[in-house]
Amino acid sequence: MSYVWAGYGVTLATLVGYAAWLLLRGRRFR
Amino acid sequence: MRRGTGSVVTMTLGIAAVASLVATYAVGLSLPPTYEQGDYSKLIAIHPGIAWASYVAFGVTALASVLWLWPRTRSLGWDLLAGASAEVGVVFSALTLVTGSIWGRPTWGVWWVWDARLTLSALELMLLFGYLALRRVPADAEVRGRRSAVAALLGALVVPVNHYAVEWWRTLHQDRSLDLTPQDTLDGRFTFALLLGFLAMTLVYAWLTVHRYRLAQLEEDVVTDDLDAALEARRREAVDA
Repeated sequence: MSYVWAGYGVTLATLVGYAAWLLLRGRRFR
Repeated sequence: MRRGTGSVVTMTLGIAAVASLVATYAVGLSLPPTYEQGDYSKLIAIHPGIAWASYVAFGVTALASVLWLWPRTRSLGWDLLAGASAEVGVVFSALTLVTGSIWGRPTWGVWWVWDARLTLSALELMLLFGYLALRRVPADAEVRGRRSAVAALLGALVVPVNHYAVEWWRTLHQDRSLDLTPQDTLDGRFTFALLLGFLAMTLVYAWLTVHRYRLAQLEEDVVTDDLDAALEARRREAVDA
């Protein structure tokens, strides 16, 4: 089961991380 | 007055993306263990969807590149969209390799093997990195647009080859999971989880790409504004002299 958590975890972390970085880059222009 | 990259559209798309992603996680993690793979078959909800989103990213980059190259539809927007989609594509392409590797270790016994599917998937990620590097080579918008569009179209040729790789060559990677024919053997719950994953990852891809596209527009505006300001300053110097 640990591989399942690893797969789901790394996916969520990557998507949230990239989205946050994207929004932060956009905020510089406000 | 400059604004951020959000709007009502991105807000709606964002809510839909998050809701479908939450549903995918709930459905995926509650799938029953299977005889062959035990709990590891739960990864069917995310890995194929992520790989699909990386194909979509390649497809949108290629399509936007064609629309840029076609003289009647040429506009800076298509070039920026091609670049935005490719950057988001890197995220999905890398995640495809990572989640695939995590699935491969317990089921195949290895993290990585150089079979056709895995090698071509790695090549896709490298091509996206190369494409993004090419876009950063200093050039005016016209030159950048042309050379990156040609590179994108050449790179996108790998996608259909990769899609059929599991049928054309003997690979450790299984054939595609979803077979849209009555002979499909995948259990209904797994098919549902798989399709939900496709939907969620497509929506997440779309949401990220819209934001990245708007960011590219804002960045482009700054370059143009700075250039205009510099030109104006030089003109004033000339008048003063």
